Amino acid sequence: MRYGMVIDLKKCVGCNACTIACRSQNGTPAGINFNKTKKYEVGRYPTAKMKSLPMPCMHCQNPPCLKVCPTFATHQNEGGIVTIDKEKCIGCRACIIACPYESRQFIWKINNYYENQKATPYEKLKFRKFERGTVAKCIFCIDRVREGLPPACVHTCISEARIFGDLDNPESDVSRLIALHQAAPFRGEPGTEPSVFYING
Amino acid sequence: MSSIIHRYTEMLSKKESLESMPLSPYNWSEADPSLQGEKKTLFGLCRHCMQGDCATLVHMEDGVVTGVEGRAGVPPNYGTLCPRGNSAIMSLYNPYRIKTPLMRTNPEKGLDVDPRWKEISWEEALDITANELKMVREEDPRGLVICEGWGERDTILRIPFRLAFGTPNEIGSHGPLCTVHYATGLIHGNFPVSIVDLEHCEYHITLGRSLGPNFATTGGTRKLTKALERGMKLVCVDPRCSYEASKGEWIPIRPGTDFAFLLAMAHTMLYEIQTYDTEFLINRTNCTFLIGPDGNYKRAPGSGKPLIFDEFTKTPLPFDQEEAHPSLSAACRIDGEICNTGFDLVRQGFVSYTPEWAETLTTIPADTIRRIAKEFVSAAKIGSTIEIDGFFFPFRPVSLNTERNVTNHRGGTYADLTGKIINMLVGSIEVPGGCLGSGYRGARAIEPTEDGTMRPGYEAEERPFTFPPDHVGLVEFFPNCHTTPHLAVNAILEPKKYHLDYEVKAWFSVGGNPIRMNAQPEKYVEALKKIPFSVSIAYHMDEPAVLADILLPEHSFLERLRVAPFYPQHQSISDEVNGLQMIQMRQPVPRLFNTMHVDDIFMELAERIGILRGEGGLYDMVNRGEDWIIKDHGLNMNPPYVLDIHKRYTLEEIFDLQIKGWKFGDGTGLDSLNETGYKAHWQPRKNFYLYYYYPGNQTKHEFYFHHLKNTGDRLRNNLRKYDIPFPGIEDEEFIFDLYKPVPHWVNSSQDQAPKEYDLRAINWKTPYFSSDVGNVTGNPWLAELYQADPYEAVICLNPETARKKSLKEGEKVTVSSLYGKIYGVIRVSELFHPDTAGISGGYGGGAKGGSPLNRKGPDFNALLSIDIDTLDAVSAGQEMSPRVKIEKRRNAQ
Repeated sequence: MRYGMVIDLKKCVGCNACTIACRSQNGTPAGINFNKTKKYEVGRYPTAKMKSLPMPCMHCQNPPCLKVCPTFATHQNEGGIVTIDKEKCIGCRACIIACPYESRQFIWKINNYYENQKATPYEKLKFRKFERGTVAKCIFCIDRVREGLPPACVHTCISEARIFGDLDNPESDVSRLIALHQAAPFRGEPGTEPSVFYING
Repeated sequence: MSSIIHRYTEMLSKKESLESMPLSPYNWSEADPSLQGEKKTLFGLCRHCMQGDCATLVHMEDGVVTGVEGRAGVPPNYGTLCPRGNSAIMSLYNPYRIKTPLMRTNPEKGLDVDPRWKEISWEEALDITANELKMVREEDPRGLVICEGWGERDTILRIPFRLAFGTPNEIGSHGPLCTVHYATGLIHGNFPVSIVDLEHCEYHITLGRSLGPNFATTGGTRKLTKALERGMKLVCVDPRCSYEASKGEWIPIRPGTDFAFLLAMAHTMLYEIQTYDTEFLINRTNCTFLIGPDGNYKRAPGSGKPLIFDEFTKTPLPFDQEEAHPSLSAACRIDGEICNTGFDLVRQGFVSYTPEWAETLTTIPADTIRRIAKEFVSAAKIGSTIEIDGFFFPFRPVSLNTERNVTNHRGGTYADLTGKIINMLVGSIEVPGGCLGSGYRGARAIEPTEDGTMRPGYEAEERPFTFPPDHVGLVEFFPNCHTTPHLAVNAILEPKKYHLDYEVKAWFSVGGNPIRMNAQPEKYVEALKKIPFSVSIAYHMDEPAVLADILLPEHSFLERLRVAPFYPQHQSISDEVNGLQMIQMRQPVPRLFNTMHVDDIFMELAERIGILRGEGGLYDMVNRGEDWIIKDHGLNMNPPYVLDIHKRYTLEEIFDLQIKGWKFGDGTGLDSLNETGYKAHWQPRKNFYLYYYYPGNQTKHEFYFHHLKNTGDRLRNNLRKYDIPFPGIEDEEFIFDLYKPVPHWVNSSQDQAPKEYDLRAINWKTPYFSSDVGNVTGNPWLAELYQADPYEAVICLNPETARKKSLKEGEKVTVSSLYGKIYGVIRVSELFHPDTAGISGGYGGGAKGGSPLNRKGPDFNALLSIDIDTLDAVSAGQEMSPRVKIEKRRNAQ
């Protein structure tokens, strides 16, 4: 069993429903986003196109972030999901430098959603999972996955551009789509072996 | 005026707050300790866009709402949810909400004047409001204006309250920037708009609108994705290359010239291609009707039936004569008058609109227009049929659809109607694969009149003329208008000039905010200052709230009980929800503040004014009402489930009766709905296509727009009858030129702008702002997204244009139209037509004391005009592409 995701860029409309569903699920503080969607354009007028690239953590099979962690705060769970134990993290940020995908963010300060306002009841409850001076990143919604549910970004995607499943099973939707479209990881740095694959669009 | 504009923009840039509304952080009360450890899930129903029908689950933990997600497996969103829907929690936990009833103590009003709020009890707030409204009602009920809008679209009692009060003056603040309804009402008998059948369509042309991705709607986006996957060709004619255009073929067009493209496409079909769905044109349109020199149907003596020209006998016969063979093209002499068929008149009217002519206006190469017209006609598969549920339909897998950025110019109604002509030429109206109305799907929509043509529906049905006018929004002079706050504001300021014989004494905001959502904000501020009493059912401190005398704080949408029928979707349809009749509900989360449900407020006020019970009261009006959009398919009071007009009801009891009497229900009520959250009834899919109800030649659409001409004629006669000029305009021909039965090119209201106004501003909806629902611009999660989005809250310019103007990325500029000016920052992008200044969403504006997020970004609407000579005379739609000039802001901070 190895959890993986396919993101179909032919279908993605860059709406960021994934980013906000992730926020709602994980309650990340302001400025901390497990998922980021980069919007950009290619070509010249009048044949230019608008493009988007959603970027969760790639959950590498061979994660460089894990190797550099001096306190073993980063670890690989069942199915290859990479998470961080905030109790063990000392905030050295070696992992941020090691990650080729800018998946990780350092929490300098727990920022509230409303600037110059106090934490709302939602923030008070949800921010317990985060600690100033530690590193945070996408966890493939491990709690949902353990309940048999897809990650929030996959569940919410309005164009069904995200598919989640078992990369080890050749019959799974993710495996079939990767084979059919020759989906490839973003920046296939030798050795990292990401679990997120993109269909080019 | 310019000094007022100056004051408005300066005011918004000031930093300090008002004394009675200090922006000190709000202290949230601690969660109830008894709820510690409690987990529960409620059935939700989203309200972060106008459609408001996505099924959700609302999760609570320890008494706190901890998550809102799409409800898996349930239509219409099947688990998915857009970024706005996913940000619902922040609409609940918003420190800038109004938390308790407030009363103004400072008589001076202004956006930057401290109202010196005083907290009062609900009893006091309701008593004061009811007393003021009662006095207005005793003098003249028309003195009350109810301003509704996207901020509050869950209410079911607003209209009954207005009817019981007795004022005609209900005004939607958002309407005139989206006048997209006339042609759909005329040709499909539907409201609000025309959509495309994405289950079958193979070639779709879309102009000035979104199929879903542009503002991230769940159903529309998924359906489009599936249609593209199965190979549908998508052509987007747009000054901006959106995500939609990027997934299809982008045809860049000069802003505001879509009508010229449509005329040239129709010209090409009528003069160069000349392949029509003749069967459709003869059987299902008034193309064959003979038209006299006065422009009216030539009628049979005695019966009065419209005449056609019979090809075999070469004589005029009544249109419904059996075994007649009506000619599409004919000229004949009847009673000494030369008559032509409607088809010939339309064709003749389009003779000069060649693709070369259109190229000079639109910048689209003539050959491209020709190619698209040819592809459209050949993809229509004229003559083919399809079987659905055992019924044979003509199959026309093409559709051309137009919306806001096509219709919101002078001549916009003609443009929308020309789009219908293009679809009718290939027979792709109300059949599988083609262009469909959305809303009511039933026989009533296209029922024929004695003339054989279908009865115009909704806004295509003209309003009666009364003089002096009853309606402060001057609907008597724009009998097919959408909503008219822009006309009301002038009439409030100068009633006599607009022939009103009464003054507005009270303003009641119920989700409407014309200051932010319309144009020339300073004029609305003046009007609201002039009105003696103003009350707002308010969620947050928006512009109408800061100008109000009393604030009645309402629940946020998650706290609001709601039961609603499902309206067929706004953008497209497919097998996913085709045939679905459904009711849905929202189970409310516990309220956070001292707020009330909007409909409880209406009942409390009505009781105090004395208009709740008895004949003509609010409950009586609830009993008599019918769903405006989906009529008998909606939630109505169907006997025996009606209100006893002498009793008092809770909102739950009213919903319970509505559910029990629902046409497609099983007789159970609110308790049963509470267990499932929704009730779905699937009709056969053939019922979705209006052709099914009146097939063959049993009903006809107007191809020659006889009804439009007649409306104009009646309006002119009424002006003569009362010997009055058309208000607010020099030359009334400027109005009547838009009531001709055959569309013709009209000059834009912007053509006279001085040369330095060399660009045209455009606006579009975004995933973060589809309309002003639920204060999405004040939502910090969405704000984080738009601040990171390169195309949001900036002024987008084509690189070539930027180079010519020596403007660079990130430069601070002033954008000015003839009507207002705004500040912004330049973004250089290849995704824009060179004549465009692209400004997205609904940013800027805002009032002191409200969320600072509401005041950020350029306020596109402040560039628009409310002057009558800039409007489309039929729909009263405002010009959405004003000419603008861009100048560097020197010494800008």
